[in-house]
This record gives sequence, structure tokens and C-alpha cells, in this order.
Amino acid sequence: MLNRRDLLKLSSVAVGSLLLPTGLRPAFAAGGDITIGAPLPMSGPFAANGKFGSMGTAMLVEEVGKVLDRKLSYLEIDTEGKPATAVRKVQEAMERGVTLFSGGILSSEALAMGKEVAKGKGVFITTAGADEITGSECNKSTFRWSVPTFGAIEQTVRPLIEQLPNAKRWYTITPQYVFGDGLLNAAKAIFKEKGIEHVGNSYHSLTEKEFSGYLTNAMAAKPDALLILNFGSQSSDTLRQAVSFGMKNRMTILLAWASGLEQFEALGPELMEGVYFGAQYWHGIDSPFNRELVAKVQTKHKMNPNYAFASAYLTTKILIDAAAKAGSADGPAVTQAMEGMKYAGLTGDEEIRAADHQVIKNYYLLKGKAKSAMKDKDDYADIISFGKSFQSPEQAQCKMA
Amino acid sequence: MNRASLHFLLAALVAIALPLFMRSGTLASEVLIFAMAAAACNLLLGYTGLLSFGQGIFFGLGSYAAGLTLLHTSVPLALALVLSAITGAVVATGVGWLSIRRQGVYFVMLTLAFSQFFYFLAYTFKDITGGDNGLLNIPRPAIGPFSLGESWTYYAFVAVLFLLLFAALQRVASSTFGRTLLAVRDNEERARAIGFPVRNFKITAFAISGAVTGLAGALHALLIGVAPLSNIDYHMSESILIMTIIGGTGNLFASVLGAGFYVIVSDLLSSIWPRWLLLLGGLLIVVALFMQKGLWGLLERLVEALPMGRKSSINSSIEPPIQPESEGRGI
Repeated sequence: MLNRRDLLKLSSVAVGSLLLPTGLRPAFAAGGDITIGAPLPMSGPFAANGKFGSMGTAMLVEEVGKVLDRKLSYLEIDTEGKPATAVRKVQEAMERGVTLFSGGILSSEALAMGKEVAKGKGVFITTAGADEITGSECNKSTFRWSVPTFGAIEQTVRPLIEQLPNAKRWYTITPQYVFGDGLLNAAKAIFKEKGIEHVGNSYHSLTEKEFSGYLTNAMAAKPDALLILNFGSQSSDTLRQAVSFGMKNRMTILLAWASGLEQFEALGPELMEGVYFGAQYWHGIDSPFNRELVAKVQTKHKMNPNYAFASAYLTTKILIDAAAKAGSADGPAVTQAMEGMKYAGLTGDEEIRAADHQVIKNYYLLKGKAKSAMKDKDDYADIISFGKSFQSPEQAQCKMA
Repeated sequence: MNRASLHFLLAALVAIALPLFMRSGTLASEVLIFAMAAAACNLLLGYTGLLSFGQGIFFGLGSYAAGLTLLHTSVPLALALVLSAITGAVVATGVGWLSIRRQGVYFVMLTLAFSQFFYFLAYTFKDITGGDNGLLNIPRPAIGPFSLGESWTYYAFVAVLFLLLFAALQRVASSTFGRTLLAVRDNEERARAIGFPVRNFKITAFAISGAVTGLAGALHALLIGVAPLSNIDYHMSESILIMTIIGGTGNLFASVLGAGFYVIVSDLLSSIWPRWLLLLGGLLIVVALFMQKGLWGLLERLVEALPMGRKSSINSSIEPPIQPESEGRGI
């Protein structure tokens, strides 16, 4: 709810922003601060992700405090989950001197913001899903931490086929747009290579909420494995309905693009037990940087970091480290410092590929645990395997301008 | 000063005042772009009595038309904008022609259905529209010798178009055609019985509204360099309707107030409180319950409360509902 502090902020900003003429208003980022813009969906359907993303950026900025002898600050930008609003607010932030941005959870927002930041010669690092970000729409200013659809399928479908040699018939459920097709095409290539029979695919729209029809078709095809290729609430709904149809007992279920802890909390161990999940990040990753982050977040926030939190923390750190390395917060200098940068990241050793600005990192195959096997309230899954699979920049169709 | 001149003067004052009181040229441009869309919506809602959820269609198609023209051809910007307006008008004519076959809730449902139809068309033909990712890389070319790259320069361009369109809409509203729309709004049967081609008038109102909304969509695409799928979503129709209702449906300037209020307050609240939509919902409830003439009605009451306002009330500047000349005489 709106508390007193919010009300005071509201009043002061209202007066400051609207009533004072331009010249009288304090310039943003004045006094030599380096400001990290965090364009995230703080309101609207993806507000929960935005909230954790903002917490991640805020924690890192607070922790580092200063870089290049300049105070660090951050600007939370509510994109409202709308590309148009996102671009407009990024334009405004750039007009006020912000050049470094970490955020953009939704693909449509991230693609549009990347273009805008490139126009202003800033730097933007995102965790959004669209392959075009470091593929056909790549640009000099935009970097992407998350593994593309190709790698997500390579690191989930392939190891699962190896683990389940008798699962010869697979059925897929796919959202009908670029992201879904990216996952589906990568899966089909593996099926073909491994001699797997792709017994059927159900396409659904981006606004679909009812999946029972698709699941009935899937059951009729009698597959050994069900590959769910949608994400977010749609993948949760698909899984819930599949489990209620008893499909978990009849076949192996793999949800290739899960969002991790925040999604698992909503699903619960009863639904998750025995189900496989693909994930960009899991707080149980055994890497020095991740162990350190988990400890810090547990101390400060009394929780484990989820994907939105951890990725925002890391991407903000990348920007700040690059600025320190470049000796400048100017966009082109930071871009140059980021290209080819190697660092100890959340998933172990990570590297930013210079040719397409894609971060080369691990992707994880998790398996849901029984409630009785959970060591703590967040111990929903075990890591089964992980690895790095990436197309070349040419295969990804990146032509860096 | 007559009513139309006063409203135009107020619109011009808004266009001049925004750069003085706002720090963002982008936000100021967005205010005027949505003011155009809301004024066009008002022509349907306030003047014709048609609650259309199809405004997002024309806005989105205007964005796509401008984007595709500028991306794939080398036509001048002015022509791209004209094409967007024509696209809006043509599609609005079709949507209007089919929707006005029904009245009341069925009319609203038809416009909603068209809204969904066009959304899914845009979503499905991703090779043309960019689908969920939107149509990217839309350039903002210069107009003659003037570069529009800088946000306040673009604002000036939008402001000129806004004032031209506002004047044009005012002319439409005060013409015989506009007066007849009011007659249709107040008593459609009587207007028909008098001999007005009500159906053609409504379709024409749709076409004009579609043209202006299409142009607003095109200006929006140029503003942000993207034609996102959300521009053709029914939420866009909803937003434009909310702006129109918040401002008040009594006259065209009320829509400018509504758009300005909605865009600026949304921007402000979203930076303060993530649940800002709750406040907006509350405001709509207040408007629906206590301020049925919207912000314009509130302004009118404030002016009336002033000593000088009692003498020269701005009441006269509100478009009154047309009353039958003689209730007993019939038509």
C-alpha cells in the first residue's frame, strides 16, 4: 500500500517535476554521480520480476558505493511492461545524462530499448529472452547475459535424451512467436540428429491460459516425453494442467525455459517432483561468486536470490567493472571494455563475446525434488547437468554495425 | 471571443506551456499525440454517442503504416504521415460500416471483437509487423531542411500538427455535419426521421476519427522509433477511452486535458509507487460517480465559483446536448 514515505515522495516529485520550470529543476545525475539506469517492469503483469531486478541493482550499487572516484547511484525506471513506455523513459533518462543501463526483462521492451540506447551511444545489458538481441538485431550498445534459445535446448533436451534412452517419442507445446519457434527449431534439430520421433506439436497464442485441449492432443499421441516450450505463467499453467491430467506419471516432462525460484515457489514441490526444468540461474550453483552472493542476500534480505535478483546484480556489476576498467563511464569506452571481458560470474567463468555481445555462460538442467527430500524451503530442485552451447555470431545472424 | 476560438486558444496555450513546465520533450510529445487520439475518440463518443473500443486499431495501424513506409521506401515524411492517416480512415470506415449495424452493447462488443481481430492479425503476420517484438528501427527523417532528431524539435513538429488537427476537428464539430452528429447522439430516431442519412454520418465520423488516430499512431512510432504490438492492443483503445472520459466528452479541448492528465499522472505515479494503477482505478471511479463532465466540468465549476466567473461563466463554452425544440410537437 501507499505508505507515508511514498506519499511524501509523491508530493515532492509532483511539485518538483511539474511546477518548476525546466531551468530551476535540479539536473539529474548532477554532481558527478555515475547513474545506472534500471529499466524494469515495476508495474503491470511482470511487476514481481521487476521488483527483484531492482533489488539486485540497488544492492550492488549500494555495495560498491563509488567508482572512478564518483558516487554511484541508480535510477529505477518503470517500463510498465510496455515497449513504448520503456523507450520513452529511456530517452528521458539519456537526456538527463544516464548512459549505462541494466534491465529489460521482456523481449519486446529490451529490443526497443537496445535500439534507443544505441542511438544515444550508451550501454545496455539485459537478460531478456529474444535471440534477436544478440542475433539479427544486435548492435554496438546492447549486451545480453541470458543464454539464447539454442543453448537452452542444447543443455536440456540433449542431456535428457542421453539420460532417458528409451524416451523415443517426444511431443512439444509451443507459443507461436519468434521465441517459441527458436526453441522448437533447436529441439527439432536434436530430434532429427538423435533419431527421436517428434510425434506432434501444439502451437498456442501468447495470450492463451487454457491448455487442456493441447494436453489432450499430447496424450493422444502417446509420447514418452512432453517438452513444454512456453514460459512464465503460461508454462506454470501448462504444467499444472498436465499434472492434473496425470501426465507426470505417464511420461517425462521437461519445461525448457523456467524462471527458477520465483516460479518454483508458485508451483510447489508436489507439482515439481520428478519434472525437469531448464534454468539460466539457480541459487544452488556451486561457484565462488554465487556462493558469495547467496550469503550476502541471505544476510541482507533473509531470502535466497532468484533469477531476476541475481542477474540484475551481476549485469550491474559488469557495467560498473567495465567502467572502472575503461576509466570512464562514457558509453563507447564502457562498450569497448566489455567486449571480450572475462570474469568470475554467477555460473562460473563467464565471457562476453565481442562479435555479438553475447555472454557465454552455463545453462542448467534441474530436476524437481520430493517435498520430503528438500533440505530447506527453497530446495526445490537438484542440478542434473549444465554446460555452454552457443551458435556462432554468424549462425545467430549478428552483423554488428 | 466565441467558444471555438477560446478552445483553440487554450489548446495553443497547452502546446506553448508544455516545454516551459516539463523537462522531457518526449513526454511532452506523447501528451500531444494522445491528445489528438483522445480528441478523435471524443468525436465518436462525445459528439456521436459511439463508445468505440476500436481506436487502438487505428492507432496501431497508423504506427505500422508509417513504420513500414519509412523502412521500405524513400518517400518523404509528410507523405508517410498522410498514408498513415489514410490507412486509419480506410480501416475505420470498414470497422464503422460493420459495427454501426448494431447499437448499444452489441456495437461495443463488435468494436472489441475487431480490436482482437486486428491484434491477432498483427501478431500473426510477424514478418510484416515484427509480431511480439514490434517493428523496429523506424527512422525519424528530416522534414525539408529541419532535422527532427532532437526531442524538443520533434515536439515542435508534433505541436504544429496537433494545432492544425485540433482546428480541423473543431471545424468539423462546428459544421452542419458536426451539429448533425450531436442530433444523432441525442435522438437518433428523430434525426433519421428528419431525413438525415444517419448511417453515412456515423461512418464518416468513424473515418475522420480513424484518420486522426492513425496519424497520432504514426507520430508515436516516429517518437519512439518502434511500432510495438501494444500499440494495436485493446489496452490502447482502453487508454484512449479513459483519457477521453477523464477529460470530459463535452468538447474537444476536454480531451486535451484528459490526455495530458493521464499521460503526466501515469508517468509521475509509476515512478513513485508500483501499484499506481490502483490510484488510476480509484480516480476513474470518482470521475464516473461525481465528475461526469470530467476535468473540464471540474474546471467549469471552479471558474463558476470565482466572483468574475459567476458573471462570465465558461458554461457557455460547453457543448450542450441538443434538446428537442418542442417536446410535445414531435417530429
